[in-house]
Amino acid sequence: MNPHSKKRQVDFQVIARWVNAGDRVLDLGCGRGILLESLMQKQSVYGVGVDIELDKIISCVKRGVSAYHGDVHAVLENFGDASFDRVILSRSVDLLEQPDATLTEALRVGKHVTVGFVNHGFWRNRLSFLSHGRRVENEVYPKKWYESQPTNPFSINEFDSFCAASGIQIMDREYLQGNWRDECRLCPGLMAGYAIYNLTKA
Amino acid sequence: MNDSEAEAVTHEEGEVGIVAHADFVSKAPFEFESGGTIPELTLRYETYGRLNKEKSNAILICHALTGDHHCAGVYDMTERKQGWWNFMVGPGKPIDTRKYFIICSNVLGGCQGSTGPRSINPETGERYDLDFPKLTVRDMVKAQSLLLDALGLDRLHAVMGGSMGGMQTLQWAIDFPQRVGRYIALACCARHNAQAIAFNDTGRQAIMRDPARLQGKYESEAPPAHGLSVARMMAHITYLSDVGMEARFGRKRQGEESGREHFEVEFEVESYLRYQGQQFVSRFDANSYLYLTKALDRFDLHGAGGSLDATLTAVEAPGLVVGFGSDWLYPPQANREVVEALLRLGKAASYAELALDAGHDSFLLRAPKLDQLIRTFLDR
Repeated sequence: MNPHSKKRQVDFQVIARWVNAGDRVLDLGCGRGILLESLMQKQSVYGVGVDIELDKIISCVKRGVSAYHGDVHAVLENFGDASFDRVILSRSVDLLEQPDATLTEALRVGKHVTVGFVNHGFWRNRLSFLSHGRRVENEVYPKKWYESQPTNPFSINEFDSFCAASGIQIMDREYLQGNWRDECRLCPGLMAGYAIYNLTKA
Repeated sequence: MNDSEAEAVTHEEGEVGIVAHADFVSKAPFEFESGGTIPELTLRYETYGRLNKEKSNAILICHALTGDHHCAGVYDMTERKQGWWNFMVGPGKPIDTRKYFIICSNVLGGCQGSTGPRSINPETGERYDLDFPKLTVRDMVKAQSLLLDALGLDRLHAVMGGSMGGMQTLQWAIDFPQRVGRYIALACCARHNAQAIAFNDTGRQAIMRDPARLQGKYESEAPPAHGLSVARMMAHITYLSDVGMEARFGRKRQGEESGREHFEVEFEVESYLRYQGQQFVSRFDANSYLYLTKALDRFDLHGAGGSLDATLTAVEAPGLVVGFGSDWLYPPQANREVVEALLRLGKAASYAELALDAGHDSFLLRAPKLDQLIRTFLDR
């Protein structure tokens, strides 16, 4: 198991805590279906994953997770209002072409929306740019800018103001320290490496 | 980049080898969805692999419009042509004959040994021809279910097929939810769009306007060959893609310019299609072609009420639908639509789309990712 996958475990636990047994769950950017597989096994949810990569879909099929190969935004129009109890965007918001439009759609389709994201305002990330003049490189972002897919990094502060401006209600939020393991209580905008939000329409 | 856990395992592959067909004969009258009946019914079929003691490892493969029951192996050692899905079915292959017992039958209405318009009506001693009842995909599936009854199979591990086989597969999951363990529908759709109907009818018109057709009562030695071959040529184009045709033929010419009549075969693609048309006449019956294409045009999972969701409510088994990017006959969105409805209904269903160049026929060509998907879904 690489350190990266270990890092995923704590945020998965937080995400799972907000999911009720038997919920209908839509995971946008589901990857290999690890989260949904666990939610299906432990909480008997009806899970659907969406991913743009064929290999991820094949991994989902292997796990017995229903997976839809396609664009996470386009798929949403197929579903009625509040037709899922929860829509999850775990580390996928920074990859969206139109984050505001997709989050709005996710909040229409899901009664609740979970967003988990890397806080680019974390002090180490700030320091990296300040001292080296270049973006973060670590086990989460191992690739150079020119060999990684386009991402749209943002910070906790930016996400908070987006929610306020868009009338999105923040029901809960949890912050993890830079190790993505321990809870971060103090000054999350600066001190949290990862954030998980539980959202609903205001 | 290897971001997938889907390991690149190489599977030791063998061949099913020499196979033989069998005939299932039901002496009971068969009633069609349209209300018409025939006094008895024959389905020609092949099987590969062994049925286990629990009878839990049977897979039904449904063939496409002009396919048949011969999906793997050869009939004798001198034969070069293998079954139409030979790369998919066999020991160590994605549909592994060491694990599964595979059944493939020629459809009702077909012309490769199963009862169809050219069969003799035992009550009259004459061919049915156009007295054959109106045929639907649902009738094909119902006939297959009788074959399974006869084989003592209550439940299938899986039903699968591409194109018309995909439509039968979906119909199986709807009509016999208790008998289907899982299903895979490839290059399929919930119903034909206007373009697909238009192509089919143009093909039918080519046949029906052939003077040799004689209102469907032609003798087998003198079929409406011109009409049927033109229908095949045109349909064949719809099974390919522009990119695929360009790569294969481009503007390549054959023969010498000098001495060639102006409208003789000049381009390779012309030669290819004419050959396909001629070959088809020798193995396919025109009346069957009319009945089968009409059944496809009338297939509509949206139903009379216009709700795909309402029709798919009956489905219980988990399904996998695979679309192909270059398929413009049953394009990706037509495949996706089925899964979208299933997911709205809270069913277990997956959609995968493969970026292959072979158009609608992509499911008939070997591709590692397709192998992997099918193997993974069946073996899970």
